[in-house]
Amino acid sequence: MTAADKDALSTTDPREAGIQLRTGLWQTINERYPGSMIRKESYVRQAQLAKPLASCRLTLVSSCGVHLKTEKPLDVCHPFGDFRFMRVPSRVKHEELIIHQLKYPHDDADLDVNVIFPIERLQELAQEGRLGGLTANFFSFIGYNMDPEKFECTVAAGIAEEVVEEEQADCALLAPA
Amino acid sequence: MSVPYLREAAAQDDVGKLVRFVRLHLGDGNETVGKEEIDQSWAETIKILLRDQPVDREFITQVLEKDEATLALLFYHLHFYLIRRSGRWIHDGSR
Repeated sequence: MTAADKDALSTTDPREAGIQLRTGLWQTINERYPGSMIRKESYVRQAQLAKPLASCRLTLVSSCGVHLKTEKPLDVCHPFGDFRFMRVPSRVKHEELIIHQLKYPHDDADLDVNVIFPIERLQELAQEGRLGGLTANFFSFIGYNMDPEKFECTVAAGIAEEVVEEEQADCALLAPA
Repeated sequence: MSVPYLREAAAQDDVGKLVRFVRLHLGDGNETVGKEEIDQSWAETIKILLRDQPVDREFITQVLEKDEATLALLFYHLHFYLIRRSGRWIHDGSR
């Protein structure tokens, strides 16, 4: 562990603040993956929802690596990760989707993708009127990533731009894998 | 291990750090498993070549004319291909 790493793990570290179900998790990660920890000095405040969910257009963003079976998968072998993202039409069903990921067991999600990418549940909520609607596309990428700064400038910025500009979502459900 | 950490290790030619990263990547966070998987993929190549089947050397020549970044990444794809063939696949929960 480098001096910079130790400094990043000080007691004021916001990642260890509040209720931690696994205290010391970040230190454990840093011991296994030295140099992987980053310190974020700037935070974007969570936006307040301006209208009820029944009037909101919702999008779904997940790091599970799901995509249409008809499309080429993201690169799961690259040691640094794949800095692209996939668009998943919000109208499709489980049968039309496939997960490509090496870093977590997705055999259960292969049986029912909704356990990790609840696309059909959201379709139901929209049909029932509990949600105002769904964006035409949802978003998926591979969570394994070794370059947080590049990730922020590529995947995160790209998805954020599409969510706001193209899809005009009112809110987003973030589903980590 | 972040890319900046690895760049620093590469600049210092710290092979130990680079190899540890590769083992952690291939072993899904378990260095010992990663080392075993590297050995396993090489063993698998010998098993295949022992079958003495025809090979497409022209294809290999064409592939080796590609840029080094593509070839380096191909190395990882071939590794995972060989591990899946070996029947000792531990990744992603699939069989």
